[in-house]
Order: sequence, then C-alpha cells, then structure tokens
Amino acid sequence: MPQNIPVIETKRLVLRGPEAEDYPDFKATFTSYRARFMGGPLNAYESWMLYAAEIGHWEIRGYGMWMIHDKITDETYGMAGGWMPAKWPEKELAWVIWPDAAGHGYALEAVDAARRFFYSEREWDTAVSYIDPKNLDSIRLAERLGATKDKTAPTIDGSDAVYRHPSPAELNGTQLAHGIEMEISHYQDPLFKPKGWAID
Amino acid sequence: MPVIPTLETDRLILRGPSMDDFEPFAAFYASDRAKFVGGPLDKEGSWRMLAMEIGHWMLKGYGRWTVALKDTTEPIGMIGPFCPHGWPEPEIGWDLFNGYEGKGFATEAAVASRDYAYDILGWDTAISLVKYGNDKSAALALRLGAKPDGDFTHDRHGLMQVYRHPAPQELTDGGIEAYS
Repeated sequence: MPQNIPVIETKRLVLRGPEAEDYPDFKATFTSYRARFMGGPLNAYESWMLYAAEIGHWEIRGYGMWMIHDKITDETYGMAGGWMPAKWPEKELAWVIWPDAAGHGYALEAVDAARRFFYSEREWDTAVSYIDPKNLDSIRLAERLGATKDKTAPTIDGSDAVYRHPSPAELNGTQLAHGIEMEISHYQDPLFKPKGWAID
Repeated sequence: MPVIPTLETDRLILRGPSMDDFEPFAAFYASDRAKFVGGPLDKEGSWRMLAMEIGHWMLKGYGRWTVALKDTTEPIGMIGPFCPHGWPEPEIGWDLFNGYEGKGFATEAAVASRDYAYDILGWDTAISLVKYGNDKSAALALRLGAKPDGDFTHDRHGLMQVYRHPAPQELTDGGIEAYS
C-alpha cells in the first residue's frame, strides 16, 4: 500500500512524516490547554488515536500533516500540512506549534513551504484554514500568509471561521508573495529578529 | 511506510485496511453492535477510526487487517493484533461487520492473526479484551481457547474482561483444532 511521505526542507526546518518517536511531543501539546482550539485537550488515548489517524490520513488522501523539525537539532516544533478528514468541506492548510516553540516564525515558514508544495507539486488551486474565532494567534498567522476571511465558504460545524488562502496566481511574483518571503527571511536572519510580532 | 502483509485462510483474505472499506466499517461503527467497541460513531468518527487503524500499522509495525471474503473480495470485518495507547498489553482484536455473524469467519481470521502474532511478531502470549455484556465476543474468545484472566479498566472503554489465549507451545502441543 504505502506511499512515502515527501520531505520538505526550508532554511531552518525539515518537514517529515509523523513517526513513532515524535509522539511524546505531540501528546504533550494535545493533552494540554494549548489544544483547546483543536478539539482538545484530549486524554492520552484520544491523543494517540489522533496521532495514528494523522498518519493514516497520508495513506488515505495522499497528503497530510508533516512533523516540523529543526534542521540542525532535529527537535520538533509542531505540525503543518494538509488536512481533510470526513466532514471537512474542502482541503485545509493546518498547523499547530508546540507552546515552547512559539514566537520564532516556524509556523509561518512551515505553512508557507507546505502551501508552495501543494500548489506546485499537487496542483491545488485553492486552500482554506478553519480557525476558531477566539484563536487570535492563528488568525493573525493566516492573515500574514495572505489569507482572508471567506464568509461564503461552508464551515465545518458553524463554530469555525474560514480563511481562504491566496491562489497560486496571487502568490506568483506578487507583492504579497514578496512580503511573506521578507517576513520569513527576517525570522531566519539572526541579526534581524522581528520584535513584538504575532506569536506563532 | 512499511508494507502491510497479506494473509490467506481457507475462505478469507486478510489485507491492509483502506478507504475502500469505509462503507461497511462505518455501518458497523454506526450500529448498536459497536457499543462494545467504542461506538456508536458518526461518519466522521468512523473515518478517523479507520485512519487510526492504518496509522496503527505505521506506529506499531502491526495492526488489524481488513478481512475480506476470498470469493467476492467484500470486506467483512477488522481483525488482528492491536495495541493502542493505554492497552494493558497487545491483544488480538476483532470486529465483524453487520451481516456476517454466525459463519465462523471471525474465528478463522482470529486464528490466522494469532498465528501471525506468535510466529512472525514473536509474541509469547496474547490477550483479547471483551466488554462485559458482549457475549458473542466472549464466546469467540472461549472458542479460541482463551480463558478469563482478570479485569482491566480503560480510560475511555471502561471495564473490560481480559481473556488470555493459549501460549504458542500450548497450541503446538494440542493443535489449534483442539479449540475449534
């Protein structure tokens, strides 16, 4: 059956398929208050079942959520990728950053890379992110990625806001694309740390 | 990702689970029959459960197979070695989809699963967890030669009875036929 999960490298990060050894990091976040906007906090059993389902999602859909690793230390910072379990109206770009890894622009860098991959390698022509309206950090990240609230798009269950990402054309050599690229490069440059930016 | 092996018995094929199995899987998990195994679930819950069955193989290196009829290839159940988080030890688990009871299919697949766990995975013992009240499942455990071996309480599934299967050498000495 199995297909291999592609590996994506960015300047600071490596995105790889979720593996058994990464599970404790996933569990720590999903059983914590941090997971309140992602259906959590989960108990230990639900957390394991969800992690296994994240891997099964790759097999079923041919895409899924990557584990975000530091390129040098290999430690994990969170997950990012494509997500569409049953009941999702359309394909989602999703992310979660472990609380300790917030504030370094890792989610921005990882989701930007994932979006490029889906647009160029998998020919997605659009993507949304379903976000709890109270999850302001996540909404801000969606906006920094150029996504805008799509009030006409169907929601998962009425309690989430739909943010629609810019299309491939809107990211092709545009000012929006350059702005995102510049923000990511500022995070990557140790001498140019953005201060007082959104926590992601 | 590792390749999921395929097993054959007289009447059955045991193969890796896939989304092709979703309809009968979801129908089982939506039904009252699933109340002993974490159901009933809505479609979304079933989708995640089936995704979990696939991910289980990747995380543990083993998992439950979709059991299909050799003749028609229709999926009739989900059976095999299983050990999600919080299980007391690895078990041989079985779900028989709606409409396929009473034909010995679960026994046939469970024997093949147990042989695989002993011969290929190298287990030296195996249990099956059965919720109290799930009399058909308990009867199957007994038919397989398993014996009650205490209780176990799971965070989500609650109180379950532990059935312990005959050890590998007991099966070799007596032969599987002794239990069928």
